[in-house]
Amino acid sequence: MNNNGRCIIDARNIVKIYQTPYEELKVLDDISIKVMENDFTAILGPSGSGKSTLMNVLGCLDLPTMGEYFLDGVDILKAKDDQLADIRNNKIGFVFQKFNLLPRLSALQNVMLPLLYRGVEEDEAREIAKEKLSLLGLGDRLTHRPNELSGGQQQRVSIARAIVGNPPLLLADEPTGNLDSKSSKDAIEILKELNKEGNTIIVITHDNEVAEQTKKVVFIRDGRLSQEG
Amino acid sequence: MKLKQLLKIVLINIYHNKMRTFLTTLGVIVGTATIFLVVAIGRGGEAQVNEQYSRLNVGTIMVMPAQRGRVLDPLTKEDAELFQASQNIKMAFPILNGSGSMKYGNYSSNASYYGILPAYLEANNLTINQGRFLDDTDESKRERVAVIGAGLAELLTDGNPTEILDKTLDLNRRKFVVVGILNRMGDSGSPQGFDDTAFIPYSAAERYLLGTRANPTINAIAEVNTVQAAIQDITTILNANHLRGGSEQFRILDAGSRLVAAQETARTMSLLLLSVAVVVLIVSGIGIMNVMFVTVKERTKEIGTLKAIGAKKREILGQFLIEAVVISLAGGILGVMIGGGMVPLLKYFEILAIPSLSGVLIGLLFSVTTGVFFGFYPAWQAADLNPIDALRYE
Repeated sequence: MNNNGRCIIDARNIVKIYQTPYEELKVLDDISIKVMENDFTAILGPSGSGKSTLMNVLGCLDLPTMGEYFLDGVDILKAKDDQLADIRNNKIGFVFQKFNLLPRLSALQNVMLPLLYRGVEEDEAREIAKEKLSLLGLGDRLTHRPNELSGGQQQRVSIARAIVGNPPLLLADEPTGNLDSKSSKDAIEILKELNKEGNTIIVITHDNEVAEQTKKVVFIRDGRLSQEG
Repeated sequence: MKLKQLLKIVLINIYHNKMRTFLTTLGVIVGTATIFLVVAIGRGGEAQVNEQYSRLNVGTIMVMPAQRGRVLDPLTKEDAELFQASQNIKMAFPILNGSGSMKYGNYSSNASYYGILPAYLEANNLTINQGRFLDDTDESKRERVAVIGAGLAELLTDGNPTEILDKTLDLNRRKFVVVGILNRMGDSGSPQGFDDTAFIPYSAAERYLLGTRANPTINAIAEVNTVQAAIQDITTILNANHLRGGSEQFRILDAGSRLVAAQETARTMSLLLLSVAVVVLIVSGIGIMNVMFVTVKERTKEIGTLKAIGAKKREILGQFLIEAVVISLAGGILGVMIGGGMVPLLKYFEILAIPSLSGVLIGLLFSVTTGVFFGFYPAWQAADLNPIDALRYE
């Protein structure tokens, strides 16, 4: 762990409890994790281990029941709804397993969206989005809608959308889960490349092969983290 | 996100759901078209009432027996003369009214006739088309002459009215010479209207047609601002002159009140139609709400994605609300256009509709209000979704 850099994620004693009518489910049990700038961390765990919940908490899509969470220095538990939206917009780029592109918008429009929500002028947003898509080899697919693109291409659009606003953190949730092996390799290569360029990346996966490609792996099982598998 | 871009996304969404949008809009189209037409028909109705009554002197006061049928103590020509002596009354004249068969050549008709004094022409703003009106000599000599309305003239001559001039009209088997034909007047609030009526001298009606059954009404003409005083005078005179029942046995009506009543009837009619249109819009609003709910459900995952990439509550709310408003506004505009296109069609069916800017605005206002009102709850529901619940939604 690089202790000299900027601390992107500082989560302490995170507990997440789901209240069902019959019982309390402690999905995250006292999790503490620190991620420094330019880390490339895999959170590896089987399904039901709580890794998705952890990703949602780290991604500010869900709030922990207890604990403290600072993302790039911002106290997440004190943020209001609108502030959380701003944090998600400015600090985090999401790469989803199922890409989550808006079906009626073109690749270009999909990538522009985070910038538009940030208030960037349309023309400027279009230029930046074009640039990112070209960088990912989709310069000739700008006006295609998601259903006109292959899975690998869709995931690259999704990655372009995640990095378009230069967020300090990229969160990838099973980024290869819906891809064939070649596209998976491509996607991992892209993430590695982005990490080399200085991006901080967390990959959540159940796949050892994916985890092996990262710089650091933490294991999650039954809502608890460990450095060993 | 800026409004312009939000609108762009909304338009893209609408464009890719053309059928859904059209079906949603249908109710709004019908509702707005109805409102537009109702306003137009309402205006037409009011204009028609005003037109009809424009020939009626608002200073006219009608005095008539309160009871139908045979009257023991009828009004008389002398009552009219006493009324005319009042300084609040410009003119007063008795009118005899009856009905009977009118025959000319091969044509006959049951119509009403009026026995009148020459002053009647001016008092009712009647104008002569052919020939002359009745004069004082006709009255004093009890001449058997008649002036007939344009409608009646056409009816009796099968569409060639001038032919009847100076010919003999058989009225209840009495022969009257037609000396004049009136211009078409339009109905003026009397049961049959002037157009389908024959006018004969008062004295002739009394002598040849009604005899002792003569039971006149009296029209008194006052200035608009002396109508109330004139009614007072009439009441006083009737009380003094009809000792058996006084003024109680007569009804005194003034034309101004009748005009107001007719206008109110027209307005009530428009309001009634308007309420129908509003119901249509409410129903179409529920349609919008339904579709918006379905849309929110369909797009729940998308809403989750939007929230994950930084959409705020108000931006989601705005997006769905704008969608509802755009749909309903589009429907409103289409509705107004269709409503406008129906005006000539209505004219064909002799319904007068006068389109107006206020009709357009009321129609659009209602359609947009419908969109906002019924679009708000689904939009709010979409905006209020927890990002993680929305993302997980399948």
